[in-house]
Amino acid sequence: MAIRRAPVHALLIALCLFSSALHAELVIIGHHGGPDTITVQQVKDIYLNRSSRMPDDQRVVAFQLPAGNSMRDEFNKLVTERNDAWLKSFWSRQVLTGKGHPPREVSSANGMKSVVSSTLGSIGYLDSTLVDDSVKVLLAPEP
Amino acid sequence: MYSVYRTTPRFAFTALALTATLSLPAMADDSDRIDQLEQRLDSMQKQMTESSLEKVRLNGFFSTGYTRANNDAGYDEATEKSDLETLSLFGLQSTFALGRNTDAVLQLVSRGSDDWDTELEWGYLRHQFSNGSELRAGKMRLPLFMESETLEIGYGQPWARPPEAVYDPVPVRSYVGADAAYTLNLSGSSIQARAFAGHLDDDADSLGQTVSVELRNITGLTANWTNYLWTFRGVYARAEATIGGTPPIGDDEKSEFMGLGLSYDDGNWLLMSELTRIEVDGFYQDTDSAYITLGYRVKEVTPYVTASWIESQDNYERDGTPLEVLDVRRQAYSLGFRWDMTTSVALKADWTHARGFGKTTGGLIGNQLDVLAGNPGGRFDSTDVYTVRLDAAF
Repeated sequence: MAIRRAPVHALLIALCLFSSALHAELVIIGHHGGPDTITVQQVKDIYLNRSSRMPDDQRVVAFQLPAGNSMRDEFNKLVTERNDAWLKSFWSRQVLTGKGHPPREVSSANGMKSVVSSTLGSIGYLDSTLVDDSVKVLLAPEP
Repeated sequence: MYSVYRTTPRFAFTALALTATLSLPAMADDSDRIDQLEQRLDSMQKQMTESSLEKVRLNGFFSTGYTRANNDAGYDEATEKSDLETLSLFGLQSTFALGRNTDAVLQLVSRGSDDWDTELEWGYLRHQFSNGSELRAGKMRLPLFMESETLEIGYGQPWARPPEAVYDPVPVRSYVGADAAYTLNLSGSSIQARAFAGHLDDDADSLGQTVSVELRNITGLTANWTNYLWTFRGVYARAEATIGGTPPIGDDEKSEFMGLGLSYDDGNWLLMSELTRIEVDGFYQDTDSAYITLGYRVKEVTPYVTASWIESQDNYERDGTPLEVLDVRRQAYSLGFRWDMTTSVALKADWTHARGFGKTTGGLIGNQLDVLAGNPGGRFDSTDVYTVRLDAAF
C-alpha cells in the first residue's frame, strides 16, 4: 500500500506546486497577534477609510503594494471594487480634508511580509505562493 | 506552522509538500533562527513606530486651465479672449501632529486670479476625542456646500468647475471661528453632525469692483448620512451681512443659507445634486439654485453631464434701482469629461451652454457691466464656454 501511495502523492504535490505557481491567488494577511479571520466587507471598510479597527478592535495599520503590481490589481478587483484612478482621487480628498491617510505603500512582496509580521494590528495582502509562517493568512477572497 | 494556512486548504497541501521536501534539514538550528527573527522583528517594529509618529505631513494641489467663451457675457468671467490665469492655482497643505489626537492644519493657496498672492486659506487646531467627536478652532472653510472642503482642489472633483449656479452666489470661502462635530459609525453607514460659529471679513468681486464682505455672528449646523454609496446632506446657516460697494449693497442684513445635497458613487456611476436657498434682507439677491450631475466611469475616463438652474426671488426689492442688474435667472447645461492621465494628474474638458436669462443679465458680469454702462441692448441671451483644465494632487 505505502509503496503504491507514494508516487501518487508526489504527483499530486507536483501538480499543486505547478498550479499554484501558475495561478497565484490573492490572500489577506495579518500580524500573528491579530484576529484569525476577517470578512471581505471588513477588509474593504479598512481600505476605503470606513473603519480604523481590526475585527478584534485593535487599531489597524493597513499596507498596500504599489500601483502596477498584479496583486494590487487583484485586490482592487476582488476587495475594494474601485480602480486606481478612483482610489487616488478618493484618497487625495480624504487627505486634503483631514479625514485620513491612504494605506502605506510597501514596494515589494518581501517588504509586505516584513512590515505585516512586525506591526501590531497590521493588515496587508500578498500572492499566496509567497506567504510564509511569519504572517497569518486571514482570508482568501473568492473571485 | 500549519495554522497559517488554515483558511486555504490548497496551500496547506503545498506547505506540506514544501515541508516534506525542503525544510527537514533546517529543523536542527530552529532556535538560532528564532533569535535572528526576533532581532529582525525588534528593529523593524522600532522603525515602524518611528514612522507612524510622523510629525509633519505635506500635501499639495495644483490646477491650470484654459477658458474661452463665444461671447463676452462673462460666465465665470470667461470672455472671447483666452484666459489662463483664472483657473490657475497652487496650494500647499501641511498637518503638524502636536500629540496623538491633536494637530495643526495649514493651507496656503496662491491664485493666478490674485496675481499669485499667497493667502492663508486654512489655519486651525483640531482635537479628536476617542468617542468620535472633534473640535476645531481657527480659520476654516465655511461648510455650506457638499464640495466646500475641496472647493479649490480640482483634482478631488469630477467637474472642470463646480456648478456656478450653486457655488457662485456665495462670494466668500473661509471664516474664523470654531466648530464641533460628532460622528456616529453604524454598521455599514455613518452619521455626522457639525455645529459651527464664527466671523468672516473678506473681499469679493461684485459688478467689476472689489467690495468688502463681512459676515457677523455666523452660526450653522450640517448633518450628513452616508452608507458609502448614497450620501445625504443638510445644512442651515445664518449671519448678519454687511456688503460694501458704491452704493453699499447691504448693512448688517439678516442672511440665511439652506442647502440639501445628495450623492451616489458606486465606482462606476456617479450622481451629485444640491439644492440651495439664500435669503438676505435688503438689496443683495435672494436666490434659489440647484444642479444635478450624472457621470459614468469607463476605466480612466469619466464623462459627465450637468444641468443647473438659478433664479433670484426678490427682484421687486431692486426695481428701478441700478442694482436691478443683480436680478438673475439662468439655466446651464454642461457636457464634459475627466481623464485620469496618470495616478496624480487629471485632465478635464467641458462645454457649458447657459441660457434662459429672461429679462435679467443672467447674473453674468459682462452683461451686468453693459447694463450699468447704459447699454442694455448689448446683453447676450446665451453663452457657450469651453474649458480645458489640468488638475494635480501630490
